[in-house]
This record gives sequence, structure tokens and C-alpha cells, in this order.
Amino acid sequence: MLGRRVCRYSLRRQGLSVSRGLASSAYTSPTKAGDEATTTTPEDLTPQQRQLLEGALRVDQAGEIAANWIYHGQHVVLSRDRATGELIKEMWEQEKKHLAVMDKLQVQHNVRPTLLTDVAKVAGFGLGAVTALMGKEAAMACTEAVETVIGEHYEDQLKELDEMTTKHPSIPLLKDVIKEFKDDELEHLDIAVENHAQRAPAHALLSAVVGAGCMVAIEICKRV
Amino acid sequence: MASSSKLLKLAIPLVRTHGFSREALARSVLELPAGEAHSEPLSDSAVSSLFGEGDKARKNLIEAWLVDGVRHMQKAEAESTSAPPTLRDVLRTRLQYNEPVLAQLPEAFALLATTSSNFHFVDPLPALHHAGRIADEACYAIGDKSLHLSWYTKRASIASVYTAAELHQLVSPNTAYAFLDSLLDKSAALSNSLGEVSLFSSYILKSWQGIIKSQGIL
Repeated sequence: MLGRRVCRYSLRRQGLSVSRGLASSAYTSPTKAGDEATTTTPEDLTPQQRQLLEGALRVDQAGEIAANWIYHGQHVVLSRDRATGELIKEMWEQEKKHLAVMDKLQVQHNVRPTLLTDVAKVAGFGLGAVTALMGKEAAMACTEAVETVIGEHYEDQLKELDEMTTKHPSIPLLKDVIKEFKDDELEHLDIAVENHAQRAPAHALLSAVVGAGCMVAIEICKRV
Repeated sequence: MASSSKLLKLAIPLVRTHGFSREALARSVLELPAGEAHSEPLSDSAVSSLFGEGDKARKNLIEAWLVDGVRHMQKAEAESTSAPPTLRDVLRTRLQYNEPVLAQLPEAFALLATTSSNFHFVDPLPALHHAGRIADEACYAIGDKSLHLSWYTKRASIASVYTAAELHQLVSPNTAYAFLDSLLDKSAALSNSLGEVSLFSSYILKSWQGIIKSQGIL
């Protein structure tokens, strides 16, 4: 039953991905390289807007690093369970793509990355591995909690970016990329819920702790 | 009345003849376009109200000159007809910007490093900020694509090279560019060596992982 659900969600994700013409393909497709929207940064932002843009990209990149390592930790423990392992691997592959795009955005906008890269890796791997050791439901609960926070965080970022008045083409593209990534993260959340995240032991406590940790990490990575 | 930021920009060319002084700031109003230009320099009290009391005004002028140095690098990069400039070219451009005011620079840097409190101690932050800003601009100019922690190590390396070259320029301007070239060559050699050590270490680690797995321990 788990295998059939995995198959159906894979098809739904592929259908969604093909139909909406991915914004991130501007960064992943070699034929679209060299465009002003993907290679330059706006010069007419106010200092406050510039700070906001840098903080946003810094925390987004850190978040994708952590997400990659969470799935890595979960996969190390749960790869023996074929269906769950495949499911986690699929979500992990999407996060790898997210990170590749965030890395290009960091270089394009000349943003200082977070100093806490290695902390994000260790903490992400630890969180993924520990929750996976608690069971696959706990791993799904961890995914549910993390993706909930990330989805809300991307929504807040979109509102902040809407207030930017610059006409530079990179900002509308950035908004489209964030919308796409937000949809991907919410799909992961749905998958986690469908795969019995809410049956995890102490689900409410686990979700609260993981969610709070994510929010603290977001605030720290915006600044450090 | 022109804004203080506009007057600061006009005062920068006056640094060559009047140094990083309140006099340069006072005379900036003489450089305004026709119709706005004053017939006499600003009074000392006007300089204080626009730019700050005492040495604070001089520090503002020094900071404006340093920011103009970054603009000078950006302008040279924009005018460059070839592919992305090399790091050597970018740092040489910045050192050339120092040449007209070399005699005033030691005092200017000393002033920046001095705190305005009653306890006089050396503040390293302005120097670090200056070198960091130039390193960041240089990396952007050459199209550096370093990520995560290597972003910091690359910039720290360039900042160290530039700081050493700039200090050398203050003492021996004629050999500054050769010194910069030798520092960049040594830095590149060190970076290559570290890269090779890292690669070799990863091979050894993978070998040991393979040996341990084959023994059935993992």
C-alpha cells in the first residue's frame, strides 16, 4: 500500500512539475544561462531592501543545506526499508535541486553565506538520523514539522519581496523560484502526513520541538 | 544647500592637495556646480554641523574616500574590454587608487584605528572592514563562485594579500606591485597544495572505509 501511494504521489508531482514550467529551470537549464535575470543583481535597492534580500537568501540557502542533511540522515537509517527509503530518496533529490539553485542565487546576488554551514549539516544529519531511529513515523513527523515551518517561512518571504519596488528582472524570477520551492515543500508535507507522520510517538511534542528549533535556526541564520 | 553626502564626494579630489582634513571638507563647497558654488569655504562650525566635530569629520572623509575606492574598482571593471579581469588586475587597480594620496594614508589609517573614547586603544575593526570590502569586491569582479565556508576563506586570503601589499606600498611604493604579484603567486601555490592534500586525504579516507566495510565491521 505504501508503494502504491509513493507511485501516485510521484506521478502527481511530475504532473505538477511539467505543467507549471519551472522557474528554477532558469538556473538549472544550460540553455538559459547568461540572462540578466540570472546573472546580475539589482543596484537600485535601498539599504534596508538589500539587507532583507541578503538575509532571505542566506537563510534559504542554510535551510536547504539543513534539509539535505536531514534527508541524508533519515536515508542512512531507513534505506533498508525499500519503500520508505525510496520515498525519502525522492524528496532528498528535490532538496538537492533546491540547494543547487540557492547556491547560484547566492553567487548572483553576492550574498554572504551563513557562517553556520557546518552546524546546519551536523544538526540536520543528527535530527534526521535520530528521528529515523525512532521509527519511520517519527521520521515522517520530523519532515512534516520542518516542511510546515519552511512553507510558512517562504510565504512570509514572498510578502516581503512583494514590497520591493525595483524593476530588475531577478526579483520576479526569485519570487517565482520561491513559490515553486514552497509548493515542493508543501508536497513533502502532504507526503509525510499520508505516510502516517501523525502516528509518531509523542507527535505533538516532537512537532513542537522540531518546529521551534527550525524557527530559532531561521532567525539566527538570517543574521550570522 | 547641498547635502553632506554630495559635499563629501566633492571633497574627495581635494584630498590630494589638502589631505584628509577639515579644510578639504570646508573647501568642498567651492567645487559645487556654477550657480550653487560658494565664494568662500565653509566655516569650522558649518563643517562640524555637516560632518561632525573634530576628528569625526575627518573620519567621515576617509570613509567616503575608501568607498570611492571601491567605486573606482567597479568602474575599472566596467571599462575592461576583456573577459572577467584577473585578481591581479583588480588589486593593482585598487593600489593605483592609493598613489595620489600615499603620503596622507598612514595618518588616515591611524585615525580610523583610534577610538574616540577616553581610553585610547587600537580598534582593528575599521582595517578589517576595509580589507574585507576590497576582497569582496575583488571576488565579485573576477566572478568568483565560492560557496559556504570557502566563500570566507577565499576572501580572508585576498584580504590578507591586499593588506600586506598596501602596507608595503606605504613604505616602498616602487616595489608594491612586484610584492603584490609575489604574494598572489605564493597564495595560489598554497591553495593548490592544500587542495591536493585535501584530495589525497579523501582518497585515504575512502580506502579505509572500503577496508572496514570489507572486514564486515560496518
